[in-house]
Amino acid sequence: MKYPAAAAKTSTRILIAVFGNRDRGDDGVGVLVLKGLAGRLPENVAVLECRGDTFSLLNVWDDFDMLICVDACVASGKLGRIHRIESAAQVLPFDLGPASSHTAGLAEVIALGQALTAAPPRIVVYAIEGVCFDVGAAPASEVVAAAAETVERIVAEIAKSDPGPEMGRDVVVTSRNEHQ
Amino acid sequence: MATKTIRVDSLARVEGEGALSLRISGGRVESAELRIVEPPRFFEAFLRGRDYRETPDIVARICGICPAAYQMSAVHAIENAFGARVEGPLRALRRLLYCGEWIESHALHVVMLHAPDYLGFPDAVSLAHKYPDRVRDGLALKKAGNAIMRLLGGREVHPVNVCPGGFYRVPDRAELVPLARELEEACELAAGLVRWVAAFPFPEFERDYEFVALRHPGEYPFNEGRLVSNRGLDIDISDYESEFEERQVPHSTALHSMLKRRGSYLTGPLARYALNFDRLPPAVQALAEEAGLGPVCRNPFKSIVVRALEIAFACEEALRIVSEYAPPNASTVPVAPRAATGFGCTEAPRGICWHRYDFEADGAIEAARIVPPTAQNQPSIEADLAEVASQLLNEPDETIRDRCEQMIRNYDPCISCATHFLKLSIER
Repeated sequence: MKYPAAAAKTSTRILIAVFGNRDRGDDGVGVLVLKGLAGRLPENVAVLECRGDTFSLLNVWDDFDMLICVDACVASGKLGRIHRIESAAQVLPFDLGPASSHTAGLAEVIALGQALTAAPPRIVVYAIEGVCFDVGAAPASEVVAAAAETVERIVAEIAKSDPGPEMGRDVVVTSRNEHQ
Repeated sequence: MATKTIRVDSLARVEGEGALSLRISGGRVESAELRIVEPPRFFEAFLRGRDYRETPDIVARICGICPAAYQMSAVHAIENAFGARVEGPLRALRRLLYCGEWIESHALHVVMLHAPDYLGFPDAVSLAHKYPDRVRDGLALKKAGNAIMRLLGGREVHPVNVCPGGFYRVPDRAELVPLARELEEACELAAGLVRWVAAFPFPEFERDYEFVALRHPGEYPFNEGRLVSNRGLDIDISDYESEFEERQVPHSTALHSMLKRRGSYLTGPLARYALNFDRLPPAVQALAEEAGLGPVCRNPFKSIVVRALEIAFACEEALRIVSEYAPPNASTVPVAPRAATGFGCTEAPRGICWHRYDFEADGAIEAARIVPPTAQNQPSIEADLAEVASQLLNEPDETIRDRCEQMIRNYDPCISCATHFLKLSIER
């Protein structure tokens, strides 16, 4: 997996990774954010829809200077609330850990990558509070609104970090099958 | 009489929800019970009335780490019922897919889930700080396994390319070239992994298990063979129900599989290894010898070494299949439904995965029965726990709890598959 060479030399290389299952209610917020970002990202930004094996993140993030993750989290007070966690300044709580021993949770993968000194130097996590993760459920309106707000915040964050050489093109870092 | 209960309410690094309860009374372990608390998942009921062609994709959803095992057992059962036979390159590709599943599943368990137990770390992240190269190697092995799954299955988790009679699509030779390069490196990493885990400190512990595994005339088993044991069992897979039964126990929502005449048995890496050592390639046998293992290993704590050896085998086997591969003329052989019953049994990473389907004339499923490996190992896990706890009666509860958790992880249990698993209580 290669990043476009022209962008790599001149810009901060940014990977946006979204997590979650689009068929499980509020868990699909990452995919909503991904859709909202379509056509709005500069060429130095790649996106990854991570469905299944979270460890695969470790295989693709080497080439990037910054990682932005978007995932749902269990509500602790307000449905649709957006948490922004900068991993250099804050430790991701491990109770954001895995629901399965078949793979690792986002917090574990980031901690593992940092332990192996393989993680991008800068990692930002957007965690959006959800309530209903039932199969077949639609995301709550509060979560849909939070997804839209997250899109704007990410676009602004990228512009602030490094505008990149060209707007309007998305580089998708994913295999065909990860989108099936 | 003093009675003590030690409770583990949440067992880490295993799949699913459950609890373990140890009751110690009068200086001996009175009972060791796995209390499975997950609700039933009703896959056998979901399958009723569905077309046979839907089966591989439905049963793949039973497990996120060994979906190919369920797919393979299902397609073999379908082909058994309908009189179809998959041979040549298609059969080789199925073995290759299974190699991928073993590599990624075993690598995850050996390095990320089980190794921390032996080295005194609470988790893989802590392990990575001390042994970063070993963790990197484990992740590289997992990546190689995933690459096989992605190429042949269409994706790593819940593959979508397996169908009765073969595959929806088969790769051409050029697609296998990058895989061969990755596997060559994986063979080296796997050998290093065997040497690393073989040097771990192992508790002195053995049990006289009845090992049950597939045995094939010429291969270390993946997809085919007779069901054999070290106590004389030697049956066709279609006779499974005459020798084995599932029993309900009050403390578990999961059924316990038993040999009707002899009770608990063990399936999985230790059993496969003991019953098929002579089917391993010489290089893997030599690696086993170097690791200090004989042809039979009865210490379940050394299952981590056997798993690593099976990774080495799967890497070598995958490389062999890739190097000899010539694409088949068609991606499937014809499969025509008929009213019949079919049986399939394959070797999932955790042990034998047995399926039976009754089909109507149009190929609709009339009845299904699926026996996952973790359900089969549950009685053996309880027997191991009683034995290991009896050796630690004078130790603090924390010591007993840690050793019991390690013991459970010896089995790499997949609780969701078995609808099962874990929390520990010790009563004394």
